[in-house]
Amino acid sequence: MDAYLISICIIAGIYALLAIGLNIQYGETGLINFGHVAYFAIGAYASAILAGKGVPVPLAMVLAGLVAALGAIPIGLAALRLKEDYFAIVTLGFAEAVRIFVQQEDWLTNGVQGIASIPPLFDSSTAPGYQNHLFAAVIVSVVICAMVAVALLQRSTFGRILRAIRENEVAVTALGKRTASFKVKVLMFGSFLGGVAGAFYAHFISYISPEQFIALVTFYVWMSIILGGVGSMKGALIGSLALVILLEGSRFIGDFLPGVSDVQMAHLRLGIIGLVLVVFSLYRPQGIFGRLD
Amino acid sequence: MLKVENVSVKYGPFIAVDDASLEVGAGETVGLAGTNGAGKSTLFAAIAGQLPAATGSIRFQGKEILGQPSYTRAGLGLSRTFQVPREFGKLTVLENLLVAASDPRDENMLTSWFRRGRMHATTQRRTEQADTVLESLGILHVRDLLASQLSGGQKKLLELARVLMQKPSIILLDEPFAGVNPVRIGEMMEIFRTLAAKQGIALLIVEHHLQALQSLCSRLYVMDQGRIIAHGDPSTVLNSKTVQDAYMGGVI
Amino acid sequence: MSSIYLINLIINGLIEGMVIALPALALTLVLDISKFPNVTVGDTMSVGAYAALAFQSIGVPYFFLSVGGAMVVCMLISLATYYFVFRKLTRAPMVVNLLASVGLAFMMRSVLQLNVSSQPQTYDFPLVRAWNFSGIRILPTDLWVLLTTIVTLAIVFSIFRYTDLGRRLRAIADNPELARASAIRPKYPIFFLWCLFGALSALGGVLIASKSVLLPEFGWEFIIPAFSAVILGGIGNPVGAVLGAVIMGIASELSVAFVGPSYKITIAFAIMILVLLIRPAGLLGSPEKAR
Repeated sequence: MDAYLISICIIAGIYALLAIGLNIQYGETGLINFGHVAYFAIGAYASAILAGKGVPVPLAMVLAGLVAALGAIPIGLAALRLKEDYFAIVTLGFAEAVRIFVQQEDWLTNGVQGIASIPPLFDSSTAPGYQNHLFAAVIVSVVICAMVAVALLQRSTFGRILRAIRENEVAVTALGKRTASFKVKVLMFGSFLGGVAGAFYAHFISYISPEQFIALVTFYVWMSIILGGVGSMKGALIGSLALVILLEGSRFIGDFLPGVSDVQMAHLRLGIIGLVLVVFSLYRPQGIFGRLD
Repeated sequence: MLKVENVSVKYGPFIAVDDASLEVGAGETVGLAGTNGAGKSTLFAAIAGQLPAATGSIRFQGKEILGQPSYTRAGLGLSRTFQVPREFGKLTVLENLLVAASDPRDENMLTSWFRRGRMHATTQRRTEQADTVLESLGILHVRDLLASQLSGGQKKLLELARVLMQKPSIILLDEPFAGVNPVRIGEMMEIFRTLAAKQGIALLIVEHHLQALQSLCSRLYVMDQGRIIAHGDPSTVLNSKTVQDAYMGGVI
Repeated sequence: MSSIYLINLIINGLIEGMVIALPALALTLVLDISKFPNVTVGDTMSVGAYAALAFQSIGVPYFFLSVGGAMVVCMLISLATYYFVFRKLTRAPMVVNLLASVGLAFMMRSVLQLNVSSQPQTYDFPLVRAWNFSGIRILPTDLWVLLTTIVTLAIVFSIFRYTDLGRRLRAIADNPELARASAIRPKYPIFFLWCLFGALSALGGVLIASKSVLLPEFGWEFIIPAFSAVILGGIGNPVGAVLGAVIMGIASELSVAFVGPSYKITIAFAIMILVLLIRPAGLLGSPEKAR
């Protein structure tokens, strides 16, 4: 039971990082990024590949985050010239392109077979029996650092300008600011967090493959921030917790109900995520703790 | 100070602005009037922002600005307001002004994390500056309200306040009196006169409200069908036959 | 690389492009009139394809009747999405509509996945061999596909150009106030638009599935190519959507000769990016509708 709760904690931490990253892009700055899973994938694969080549895991994870941040530059450039709805679809396509790339270029990523035996963050030589506890402690600390970092950004000149961009970008430009640089920075920062989340994911489950990084994951994260509250970090956390409860809860229910297979539960989950998105869009688009749009 | 020379804006076969030239000197209040579709807004957009279809020359304090990205204008001292106010609704009035006046050195993530002391000091100074500006416009009392909670007239004043935070040498005003009730118009006219007289800010006002232009401006340009058809002392210009014909023939 | 090979690729691309033209058309109309990208187009295609399969398997005599039935089913579904969801979101920001459409797409796919086999299925067509003109292969089914698409497009195009209904729809596209008013008291033009969306998506789904296999997720994968076709052709322009789809179909097929078959969707995506950067209005679109 103990071990199970620790795993839940770790998964929640991973989704929390993803949600915090997306929230600063959409909640603060208004960027509709439908490609968030791409950075999750880039982070996971970069960390797995680097660790596989002998780079110490902690360093591999940090580098993976940086690679993911660099990967945000193409969509950053797209954001400068595209209306928000085009940007949304372009980022969706970008994430799909990344997934196909990962699937095809098996010289780098082992293609469809994925990468197995990814070294864990703490191997059995350190604190035998407590690796997952330590892992959980590390990820929780990282989440706390991310929260502090984002909170500082929100309560700063930079954050104020982000919120102004979200409200009325044309006016911000008329006031002499290069909104482009703000948007690119925010996309890179959010993608860095997404990449770090991916790295944690890779070293936790030790096996990654392309079909784990489908668009649905992006919308898991969107559901979290909408549920919890757009623009509110408290909301992002609560939303990711709700997401994990939903994901795990549905697995439980599937185990108990006779005649309902894992696969069917997955299909049902998809429908429930969809329903949540529709219901919140209709009745409370700002989420539970968010500001009204 | 602002010299617009032979500017044309063509969209394919349609000529929105045809070889227009105008000038605004330091501290002057100049008006730009014209019938609907005369090209005033297009010319305004070419001066205020970035119109790829524009040709000619627009020089501000000697520097060529035609074709430069719009965000460069404010830094040079050329600011603009919007006809329909573009307030940052979910920010407070004060925050709206702080956005306008932020120090570029504070506008990055590293400062937000590691140089908060300096950032706070700057914000403090800018807040005092904001209070002064808000007071001069008579809206200090709404300082901590959300911009979305303001009335239409207050939003127009907020537009102006934001621009004033940047200490411009010239403000391009895009139909400042549009949709404003007559009492307010009088107040706004006083504000504009004070800005020009006390702070020496030049104003280029694009407007339909001819009486206001007559009262405020030292010089008036009138456009019709993309061309500048008259220029000079407002009363003379407005009473000239050319201008009367244009307005009669067209729709005001 | 022989010219025969290239010609076959071009013919293949033309057909593939034509089938994408239908969902692209559906997408461009809703984008132009309701001002948001409706991602339910993908899963409506899937539902339509499976509906036709269902009709066929319960013994409906002619395939075109099954297709007709599928189109009716999807018309009703799309109408329902408008009536219960998008109508209420007419005043909401674009992103809320977009997210609602993502949610609806997921719901549709979920229902589909829970009710159909996850194994690939095909329609019950008599086996035919391709005609072979000294190396150039043309499948008889492809000719049907081409014919159906052309006829459908001609019908839609005529409705928009020559009927009162079409004129009113175009008026709504150019006038958001009118659009909002129509949402409060829904009028026939808007109902028609959404029925058309469902019908075109269903037909597109059936045609695509008839050229390969049916899988519950196949529709979602066509969102990007359909959207790319719309962008390439110019939003709100029915002819543009078709042109864009055909160009993209041919371009992605030709790319197979150079980068292999797996990157086809990526090519569609790359074309979309290029068009957005160089000429956001698309080939036939008007600049005011772009960024």
